[in-house]
Amino acid sequence: MKVIATYNIKGGVGKTSTTVNLAYLAAKNGYQTLVWDLDPQGASSYYFRVKPKVKGGSKALIAGKRELDGLIKGTDFDYLDLLPADFSFRNLDLVLDARKKPTQRLQKLLKPLADEYDYVFLDCPPNISLLSEAVFEAADILLSPIIPTTLSLRTLEQLKRFIKENKLKNLELISFFSMADQRKKMHKEIIASLGKQHADLLDIVIPYASDIEKMGIKRMPLGAYTQKGRSVEAYQALWQAILQRI
Amino acid sequence: MTKIALSFELPANLNAEKFIAKLAKKTPCELVQQHYAQKSFYDSFDWRLYDANLTCEFNQSKDATLLVLKRTSTADIIASTVIDKAPIFAKDLPISPLSDKLLNLLEMRALLPLTTLELQIYKLNIFNEDQKTIARLLIEDYTNFGCRLAIQPIKGYDKAATNLHQLLVKHLSLIVIRKPILLAVLKSQGRKPKDYSSKLNLQLKPTMPANKGIRIIYKTLLNTIKINEQGTIDAIDSEFLHDFRVSIRRTRSGLSQFKAIFSNNINTHYSQYFAWLGSITSLSRDLDVYLLNIDDYKASLPKSMREDLNPLIIFLQTKKIIAQKKLAKKLTSKKYLQTLGQWEDYLKQPPTENTSLTLKQLADTRIWTVYQRILKEGSVITQQTPAQALHDLRKTCKKLRYLMEFFQSLYPTSKIKILIKSLKNLQAVLGDFQDYEVQENALRKFSEEMMHLQSVSTPTFLAMGVLVQKLDEKRCQARHHFAKCFIEFKTPSNQAIFKSLFAMQTRETK
Repeated sequence: MKVIATYNIKGGVGKTSTTVNLAYLAAKNGYQTLVWDLDPQGASSYYFRVKPKVKGGSKALIAGKRELDGLIKGTDFDYLDLLPADFSFRNLDLVLDARKKPTQRLQKLLKPLADEYDYVFLDCPPNISLLSEAVFEAADILLSPIIPTTLSLRTLEQLKRFIKENKLKNLELISFFSMADQRKKMHKEIIASLGKQHADLLDIVIPYASDIEKMGIKRMPLGAYTQKGRSVEAYQALWQAILQRI
Repeated sequence: MTKIALSFELPANLNAEKFIAKLAKKTPCELVQQHYAQKSFYDSFDWRLYDANLTCEFNQSKDATLLVLKRTSTADIIASTVIDKAPIFAKDLPISPLSDKLLNLLEMRALLPLTTLELQIYKLNIFNEDQKTIARLLIEDYTNFGCRLAIQPIKGYDKAATNLHQLLVKHLSLIVIRKPILLAVLKSQGRKPKDYSSKLNLQLKPTMPANKGIRIIYKTLLNTIKINEQGTIDAIDSEFLHDFRVSIRRTRSGLSQFKAIFSNNINTHYSQYFAWLGSITSLSRDLDVYLLNIDDYKASLPKSMREDLNPLIIFLQTKKIIAQKKLAKKLTSKKYLQTLGQWEDYLKQPPTENTSLTLKQLADTRIWTVYQRILKEGSVITQQTPAQALHDLRKTCKKLRYLMEFFQSLYPTSKIKILIKSLKNLQAVLGDFQDYEVQENALRKFSEEMMHLQSVSTPTFLAMGVLVQKLDEKRCQARHHFAKCFIEFKTPSNQAIFKSLFAMQTRETK
């Protein structure tokens, strides 16, 4: 089982679209896949039409009172399951803080699922917090979407520094451009210059496109309602690139 | 997941369309697919998937061709993959969870078609107020085998599946079915699953005359030879030839162990014939073994050398094609067919031999004698004893193994199983010792033959040299392990079981 966390310190960078679309592609290739919606906003759960509700809320979940397997919901797609969000996840930091070894908690909770799933995608809320640290411990890959703006470079550097300082040697950071608007000169220039400066930045750009935005209306992954187009190809290329890294 | 029945049959007065119309009035649902399809079932010749509670289906429709692995008892889909045509071997599939599962179970066995059915497929989603699918229904309307329906529950929505089950049974009068369609189809063809197994499962009676009992053994072995004959000629997979040869070896062993029963003429005549059959099939089998071992051979080499073995693979494959052609010709020859036919006729004749031995007496005597021989031969082997002594002991062990397998129904299962298991361990180490030596010698011989081929370069010979060295190391390890395995085989508790099962009766017979 490989755990892929979609994460960025900044919000609104396309984390949930990335999680939902990559998980969909993994499942389509026949891999048993789970999305864990850790964001109290519950956007992944919304895209999969699953009610953002977990019995017992964050306290029972983190305490391990209920096995994760019993909380998982099948999505409308083969091999793709979801562990929904809950509004109480807004307090996940506090709940984690009350536990011993809080940063190892998610990893421990995920362990029993190792035989059942090939890939687990963690859809994380923004900010660096105790929850993010627990995510970093649990994940094999930290997938970080970056909007091509000057601020993005700063957050990427912050993230790299954090990984280095916390000696997270087993965590591989993979970043890529997301929500890139080809009509904007600044986006184009930053993609060109940043790409050269950062070798760990994938040469794949997820466009800012209306077909991706439609996910909110259709309430399903992109590939479920359209099979062609730049956005579809970009996500497929991103998934292939991640598979190669794995 | 709730344990509810998931498969149903539509009553005769209800077709798929009428059912869907009725269902739509009772629960929110949507017909998401409807198409004509062909469903072919596959398994290995020895039913490895059926044995593992699995069914392999290749579903072809206008839109997609899909290989699906299901759990037979529940019809749950375990894995599936989109593929143009059904593979012959699991290793031919693109890497996926499905190929991993099939490869583990099938190993070298080919996937063979069992039957093909024509059907109309309807797929329905049952949804909630968010338009989220909470259960699925699959309707399969077969041309000659009725209309079946399956609930496909969705994880985390157990209640929806239970409600749907209630609706189907109570309000729509569907009938729960427990047996998969494959069983019904095989039955209509006069077949049943597991109608072939390479394992001997003879049910013999201790008091039956020995000459009658051994005829049953020979007939069973002959049947296995005949069943595997065409697969051996066609080289469908390597196990046909393997099983074919095992039955020949067992027959030869019988002819030498039960000499006292048939006349000398018969024993000599058929011993020579089955020895000939053994010899004409050995090259083809040896080449199969080398080809099946290739991945292990490669793994034993340093990574940088592994691909250098590829010319050896081509060499072996070419040799195998030639050997296979010769074998196929011999297995359709007059000599083969006529003598096998005569053997069959001989076994059909009523026994005329004058013997007062019961089958149990024969079994006791033979097993006890061969067991004593093993103890004698094994006890004199030290680290310095020539290899030939271990090879001879291996052959004696094989004789005992065949005898115990022939006659196991005459003895308490729990006891004979212990003895067979301990013998297996001893055979494994002796077999390894012999196999590594044979393989070392074969590789040396192959390298001499390959010297004449211009296409083979130095790195290949180097890799083969390293391989010979690795095999030699393993052979030495096997030799080293022998002493320990032999001590385990002749433990006082094993000796006591051997004595209690075979020795007393033998003395009484004498």
